[in-house]
Amino acid sequence: MKKFLIGFYTTLLLTAMLACGDDAEKPEDTWVYAPTPYQLQVPAWFPILEIPEDNPMTEEGVLLGRMLYYDPITHADSAKSCSTCHIQSYSFSSGPTVIPHLNLGWSKNFLWNGKLQNGLEDAMLFEVSEFFKTDLGRLQKHPDYPRYFYEAFGEHTITYKLAAKALAQFQRTMISADSKYDRVLFGDQGTFFTDAELNGWEIFFTEKGDCFHCHGGILFTDNDFHNNALDAAPDDGLMAVTGNPLDRGRFKTPTLRNIALTGPYMHDGRYETLQEVIDFYSEGLKRSDTVDPLMKSVHLGGKHLTEQEKNDLLAFLLTLTDSTYITNKNLASPF
Amino acid sequence: MRIAYWTLPPTLLFLALMLFISSCKKEDSKPVFQLSFEHELAGEELVMFTQWYHCAAGHKFQVHRLKYYLSNFNFQNADGTEFQSGHVQYIDLEDPSTLSMVLQDVPQGEYTGMSFIIGLDELTNVDGGLPNTLTNINMEWPLPGDQGYHYMKLEGRYDSLGMGPVKNFNLHTGATGGNQNYVQVQLPFANSINVTGGTWNINLVMDLNEWLQNPHVYDFEAFGPMIMANQDAQQMLKENGADVFSVRAIEKE
Repeated sequence: MKKFLIGFYTTLLLTAMLACGDDAEKPEDTWVYAPTPYQLQVPAWFPILEIPEDNPMTEEGVLLGRMLYYDPITHADSAKSCSTCHIQSYSFSSGPTVIPHLNLGWSKNFLWNGKLQNGLEDAMLFEVSEFFKTDLGRLQKHPDYPRYFYEAFGEHTITYKLAAKALAQFQRTMISADSKYDRVLFGDQGTFFTDAELNGWEIFFTEKGDCFHCHGGILFTDNDFHNNALDAAPDDGLMAVTGNPLDRGRFKTPTLRNIALTGPYMHDGRYETLQEVIDFYSEGLKRSDTVDPLMKSVHLGGKHLTEQEKNDLLAFLLTLTDSTYITNKNLASPF
Repeated sequence: MRIAYWTLPPTLLFLALMLFISSCKKEDSKPVFQLSFEHELAGEELVMFTQWYHCAAGHKFQVHRLKYYLSNFNFQNADGTEFQSGHVQYIDLEDPSTLSMVLQDVPQGEYTGMSFIIGLDELTNVDGGLPNTLTNINMEWPLPGDQGYHYMKLEGRYDSLGMGPVKNFNLHTGATGGNQNYVQVQLPFANSINVTGGTWNINLVMDLNEWLQNPHVYDFEAFGPMIMANQDAQQMLKENGADVFSVRAIEKE
């Protein structure tokens, strides 16, 4: 019995020592969860940015989101990263139907048909869990990501929800507010519209062109859904989500900020150029049951702008290009 | 489970005390007005998008959107004093949460009527006059030379009955060309209410047809779909708007 007890205690001691040794060698022990609050610079002329209480922005969270945005590890097959299609030089867009990423911190609904309407975190959750089907096991085994997640969120287990939170934090830093338009209206004195741009501005912000009712406000989108009279037999649009026939042909209003960089245009990318888009609103409107009442000239087929007015409107739209946004190093790949 | 029975009397006493205090508090608390808004056409609750209505000018029409501001709420007391509130109410028929509002700390008194404006007054209706929220930004009135916000966006389509295709109408009201154009609404109560405490529900109804008649017949066809800078149309809507609201019921909870 005595022998047995000695053996038992020795085993116990050894196990304890082993466990201790194991503990001391765990790299997690050296990790620190002490995130630094991120000082987000929102221009004074922009709307109030609402940040969910359960996802405060931190330096660590934003950086992690930026890494996930650029790292193909987020994709199930490592086939691509967010940045494969959302290319900075194209205002984080590329090709038909790729929605540009800018000022999404103010967005209430996502994707052309509004499939996601529960905030940015929820939209990012869809991207990692369903669209990219991120392999969480691979992230968990990565030499660095477990530490990055811990430093950002104080959690050892990587989840879709945490990845979505990090991506949402990075998205909130993707603010485009330095176009010529911003500089003329809100910047230091010294930047002015040309005569053509000024005339285009009047066409845009009066019922002459009547662009502003949907593409208005400082974000150049009303965050709502409209049937803009694109087709006599419209695609489903929001109806695909709600099942309501009244929502047929209603698509999310895209922002016109950086519009010159984000062609082709419309939900199906049917127009290659902004000239074609302006021609459509001028002469190409088609009647259908769900055309938005804001399309006041649909019974006339459009606004019927003169060539001069079209050119001036285009000149104004080009003032919405923010060249510093597409070269902002803080939004570029961290690798 | 064992219960320490000796704790029961003090607990019950404590609960009774809490109940007493809370009931006292209720009696002491200032009265509350809870306003709710309904919208009617042809004597029935408005049905958007699908229902056709008739207007005095002879058109059939549908309503697809209604968003507007109410502000400068003012309640008249029999003793000549007034209870004024700086609350601005944004109403969007597609957002039920906007269809009611609460005014706290109403002074006690005998109230004989209320007034408010549809839209915003000169002080508020300037660029940046309302908080920079997405909702308010979407109501901006950006016409060069003008300031402020749309007071109302009432939109839909009308059928000019054989006189051409179905067309859209946009009754967008606001200040233009230096004319303020907000609508002053005065609603005397059928019976004065003696407000000493509690919550009073005041149910208001907008009859949308009244925008299109009394005293003027508003004809979508005559003004066309673009009226933001058309002061004749704005003036007519301002005068028609004075009687779009009525008090349906006032009840104490």
